[in-house]
Amino acid sequence: MRKLVPFVYLTFVLLLHVPGAYAQKSTERYIPIGQSPGLSGKHTLIGKVQAVNPQDRTIICSHAGGTALVKVAHNTKIWLDRSKLKLPNVAGTLADCSTDRLIEVKYKNNVHKDGGEAEWIKVQVTEAGAK
Amino acid sequence: MTLPNPRVVGLVAPVLMMFATCHPPPPPDPEGDLVARGRNIFFNETFNGNGRTCGTCHPAENNFAIDPAFIATLPRNNPLFVAEFNPALKKNFENPRLMREFGLILENQDGFDDLEHKFNMRGVPHTLALRTSVASPPGPRTGWSGDGAPGDGSVRSFATGAVIQHFTRTLNRVPGVDFRLPTDEELDALEAFQLSLGRQNDLTLPLPLKGTVPKRGQEIFLDNSLGKCNLCHVNAGATVIIGENNLGNANLNTGVEDLPDQPARLTDELVPRDDGFGIPGDSTFNVPPLVEAASSGPFFHNNSIETIEGAVGFYDGESFNNSPSGRFLANLDPEGAGIELDGTQIVAVAAFLRIINVLENTRQAIDLLKASNMMPSPRREEPGKLLDRALRRTDDGIKVLSSGGLHPAAVAHLKQARLLITIALEAHELGEIVEKVIREIEKARNELVEPT
Repeated sequence: MRKLVPFVYLTFVLLLHVPGAYAQKSTERYIPIGQSPGLSGKHTLIGKVQAVNPQDRTIICSHAGGTALVKVAHNTKIWLDRSKLKLPNVAGTLADCSTDRLIEVKYKNNVHKDGGEAEWIKVQVTEAGAK
Repeated sequence: MTLPNPRVVGLVAPVLMMFATCHPPPPPDPEGDLVARGRNIFFNETFNGNGRTCGTCHPAENNFAIDPAFIATLPRNNPLFVAEFNPALKKNFENPRLMREFGLILENQDGFDDLEHKFNMRGVPHTLALRTSVASPPGPRTGWSGDGAPGDGSVRSFATGAVIQHFTRTLNRVPGVDFRLPTDEELDALEAFQLSLGRQNDLTLPLPLKGTVPKRGQEIFLDNSLGKCNLCHVNAGATVIIGENNLGNANLNTGVEDLPDQPARLTDELVPRDDGFGIPGDSTFNVPPLVEAASSGPFFHNNSIETIEGAVGFYDGESFNNSPSGRFLANLDPEGAGIELDGTQIVAVAAFLRIINVLENTRQAIDLLKASNMMPSPRREEPGKLLDRALRRTDDGIKVLSSGGLHPAAVAHLKQARLLITIALEAHELGEIVEKVIREIEKARNELVEPT
């Protein structure tokens, strides 16, 4: 029993399957760049797309502090912020991360490092007629 | 002795009287001001949306939650029913039938890309005792699946997600068009208000209960080899402690979604399986506190069980004992047993939960009554509103005890308190009547538990 308890405890912890603070992503889509409560201005990167490498799935983002390399995983959520056009925000793809577009990046587990993986990216769309 | 000059007296007396009758200004209370501002926003601010406020689904008069009985009292034009009269929200925003019959609201937890098929139907959780029931080592857990808030996932950020999901004028959900997002200041105020609601601390069990059956129920609750309740609801709260490991307000897979004959699924309405935390979900749901339970049913995230006895009985059933959490408890047991309770034991645990609920409701009632009798009220609310809420808390106490067949003497005292409150609501001077009400409620409490 004594040997069983730590094993059972570990099993229980794994069953909990809680990797860290988890915020709801579905409504996050509708929050414009820079307005995510408790995140924008503290834990996200806001800047402009300088370059995109579709093969590596990376974005170089220029921001107030310089540039940052952002890794876009296949499960990174990308949303198009069309609030300036008064249009609904929709899901986007890496192809929508065009040069000079404003983006906001939340890193996975809030770990900001060059080449860090994005949990989500919001891409501002201001051109009427664009997606 | 020289008499004072009448002219001087005539000049000075009014000034002295003015000082005698004026109340001194209260000391600054920034926290109280923030809570009051949060209250105002919570019950009055529509965020330029469809007319709903936070209080639409979390009304103070119904323990900050809604259920079919309360819903049935609302007028047809109440914003809760916006899907019934706003053409833009007629489809894929709510399910009016499930709302009215089972108290369920629609949530798009897994995204808004397929409104017709991708949604969950959930009950409205109360917002009481949040200070005791959100924190966990990995981060705050809000909402039924512990992932209710966008942004940083905190209680503070929750309102932003709620406005997007529930306040929108159309399904486009365009900020600045269909609603406006709460400002930072509003989020601060809303957080302060919500955290001020209900209990600020967990109980310390065991309580010196007087009733025979509730006392036995408390024993079963605390017995980690029998009821095992206290493992995941420490002190009847929302904290999980296994051994020496405090997991805080955790998420667990208890198999609620596997229950057969769930009420909403007995209809011909589409009720997709709720996969809980995350996208895709991991089937876990957040542990709620139990003190508030007996007066805030129906129970579980999908309102699948109406009574507190049924909710306790769930843990004796196959859905729970075959679930990951049920199997975990069985593995901990020297004889490999999960939770096995017979009918009388289920009723006893439920009786215990009824008693701690009444103790909390009457505590709140006394608090409200005392605040109504103070000028200015520390809650910055009108005495009439405070008395009304005290009345409802007293009514909760009567209902929770009576429907469990518990403590008729306490029920009699609460009914007397109720009568006195209705008199106070018509009276101009509250003082003595309110004191009498408090005494009656305290007599009721003394029937339930040894006075400390």
